[in-house]
Amino acid sequence: MTQLKDVATVVRSKNAGPLTLSFDLMFPTVQTFVQALSSSALSAESIGYLYDTAAHQVLITPYPAACAIKIAMPRKTVSGSPGDRDVYGAQQHVPLLEIEL
Amino acid sequence: MSAVRALLNRKPHTLRVLSASGQLGYGIPSKALATGLARQPDFIGCDMGSVDPGPAYLGSGEMATSPAITRSDLEAVLVAARRLDIPLIIGTAGTAGAGPHLDATLAMIRSIAKEHQLHFRLASIRADLNPERVIQALDANVLKALGGELPVTRADLMASAHIVGQMGCAPFEQALQLDPDVIIAGRACDTAIFAAIPKVLGFNMANVMHMAKIIECTSICCEPGGRDAMLATLDDQGFELESMNPDRSATPLSVAAHSLYEQSDPMSFTEPDGTLRVDQALYRAIDDRRTHVSGATWQDAAETTIKVEASQLVGHRAVLLAGTADPRVITRLPELMKIVENTTRGLVSGEYEIYPRLYGIDGVYPRQDSKLLNAPREVFILVEVIAKTPELALAATKTFKQFLLHQGFSGRQCTGGNLAFPFTPPELAAGPAYRFSAYHVMPAPDHQTLFPVSIETL
Repeated sequence: MTQLKDVATVVRSKNAGPLTLSFDLMFPTVQTFVQALSSSALSAESIGYLYDTAAHQVLITPYPAACAIKIAMPRKTVSGSPGDRDVYGAQQHVPLLEIEL
Repeated sequence: MSAVRALLNRKPHTLRVLSASGQLGYGIPSKALATGLARQPDFIGCDMGSVDPGPAYLGSGEMATSPAITRSDLEAVLVAARRLDIPLIIGTAGTAGAGPHLDATLAMIRSIAKEHQLHFRLASIRADLNPERVIQALDANVLKALGGELPVTRADLMASAHIVGQMGCAPFEQALQLDPDVIIAGRACDTAIFAAIPKVLGFNMANVMHMAKIIECTSICCEPGGRDAMLATLDDQGFELESMNPDRSATPLSVAAHSLYEQSDPMSFTEPDGTLRVDQALYRAIDDRRTHVSGATWQDAAETTIKVEASQLVGHRAVLLAGTADPRVITRLPELMKIVENTTRGLVSGEYEIYPRLYGIDGVYPRQDSKLLNAPREVFILVEVIAKTPELALAATKTFKQFLLHQGFSGRQCTGGNLAFPFTPPELAAGPAYRFSAYHVMPAPDHQTLFPVSIETL
């Protein structure tokens, strides 16, 4: 089995506005992109489980122009509200790194 | 004749747009800016703010950037634009684009003009919204949270320190009609800064908005990405992108990948006046460093909508900063934090919230399991307290500090103290605390008149 961090060239997270967390997975080749896209580990259910978020709130959009997969979901805490741990959302990608594709 | 009038009268078939800064106020790399200016741009645009840094700046009315660097960045672009006699457009003035941010930015512009003896027409566009206007939308059930959950009430809106609308092109078009040389806008769509002039000149809206979407971040769309000035050359076929730093390349892949950046959907972008779709866009390499872009599509909105952002004071913040390296303290730390919170609440009465973060354990990402199997070598402890008054926040933080320092537990060997303080006092007043009280979208048929435009001659 291969982990996402060993295949992807970019695994990043960032807010898309203060209510939304967005993730970009970018792959080096069309082949690795297509393989990752077909993996059940990258389904809305699997990602939702990892982030304790209902699958219907997890939006997964393939972006072939950049061999990339976009994932978006609501933030648990509005950016910068009391108790937030990551105002920019730039370190929320870590649970994805060791996903087994 | 004003720089805007001269450009609109000239009606160029090819428009060179220089994006000088995607976040004015942190320092503009000067070499790339100089290179861009030498390319005879038709106008200069700068984005000066964002919602990214959180609710504190919109709430407090302060800038995230230092006044000295902000002024020198403004000086660099203002002096350049006046020397070339071309329009300068700056959006989301002063980080969050509310009244105090815009006023502080305008004061700097006037002071720079005086210092350099520059004379020009300065238009400004205010983005503050009357709470009643937003409450109308709330009452009509047409105020919708954008991308997540954020319940908002009439009371929240009335209590918000600042409420801004994010203007699209229409208010800029109003400002352009006043024959300015320089336009400084409050909270604005990044795209509108770069799209308003080509839109008025009649360029294809799909290409205009796609170009604006990419260059508002300067050279982030390059490989390697950076903050250097970016030049776009727009014509009736599409547009060409080139970084003004020769070490950065705009490649078809790097430009296409930019559509992912800070967006929830890389294919489709909703703006006040319509929707840009880039799924059919074509990215063609001109050479190693330049890419030509065409083929996006634009659909005018059936109903104009604008984003509404509001920030509300939630209290005053104090923080405790401490470290620990004792393995037995670290293993018991989550439990000790709970004990000390209870002790603190017993000793310091009043309304406050305590938010502990244990860096090395759960500082960035909450743990789903409570057992520490592999204890880290050191842990940094940040305790955030938010209370109605600064005094109460600090009082609770001080008591928390002292009891965590000396909290006993079975097997404790470090009876001198559980914590290492990097300095004293280790508890600091951190000022007012805010939260976003609105991040919503609402219909705005009054878009054109909702953002008051004024002009002055310097």
